[in-house]
Amino acid sequence: MKRRDFLGLGLGAAALTLAPVNVFAKDYRKELPDVWKIKNNEKDANDEKPVMEAVKKIFGTDKVEEGQIKLKAPDIAENGAVVPVSFKLEKAKKIALFQTANPECLVAIWDIPEVGIPDYAVRIKLKKTGKVIVVADVDGKIYKVGKNVKVTAGGCGG
Amino acid sequence: MRVKAKAKDGVVSVKAMFKHPMLTYDMAKKQGKEANFITHIQGKVDGKVVYDASTSQFLSKNPFIKFKFKGEAGKELELSWVDLKGNTKSKKVKIK
Repeated sequence: MKRRDFLGLGLGAAALTLAPVNVFAKDYRKELPDVWKIKNNEKDANDEKPVMEAVKKIFGTDKVEEGQIKLKAPDIAENGAVVPVSFKLEKAKKIALFQTANPECLVAIWDIPEVGIPDYAVRIKLKKTGKVIVVADVDGKIYKVGKNVKVTAGGCGG
Repeated sequence: MRVKAKAKDGVVSVKAMFKHPMLTYDMAKKQGKEANFITHIQGKVDGKVVYDASTSQFLSKNPFIKFKFKGEAGKELELSWVDLKGNTKSKKVKIK
């Protein structure tokens, strides 16, 4: 065996042993690795273009309708490190949460299991004032709602 | 990890808090550490998925979540997470 081939084999074996054991139903970090890297417009927190780019990658289309989703987020967040966000809708297959305030726009993607009831809450970080956006797939139709959250102390600093 | 699961009228409501620093890339850079955060949270009952979230660095420190699913009291909910470095933790609680 040539030395080069041998080294290649070694690398392959190393990669295999390093690969984490994956038991998750839907791992969007693996399935869509690039979508987590889409950057927000640093100068304009009203710019939703990066979010829509991510929506297209996650939901296969960026044609969205407003409504359906009940989104709760504070008008003013005194502490951007802990911002409670909750959302609710009758049913959904997939839900994604975005914001326009942090370096990257995507916060999380939920795959809704058969027995799942999409009435979820989560606490997130916001670096500055911006929009919190929830997008959901309901029977193949994509819905979106957004809300402005004013942040008085950022949550992504040191 | 703190988990509470309560059933009412066929709907189980879960509240959970995970102990994790959720260090973003920016914060890690400033502190001279490596970024690390929870990347996946999953809930299972009887081996069946009841909650499935792929997550990012922007969940708060010690993330808190709430969710609902169709289920009954008496069964066991297993909640688990994995982070960027491959650390993982899980906990089983009885649905009350």
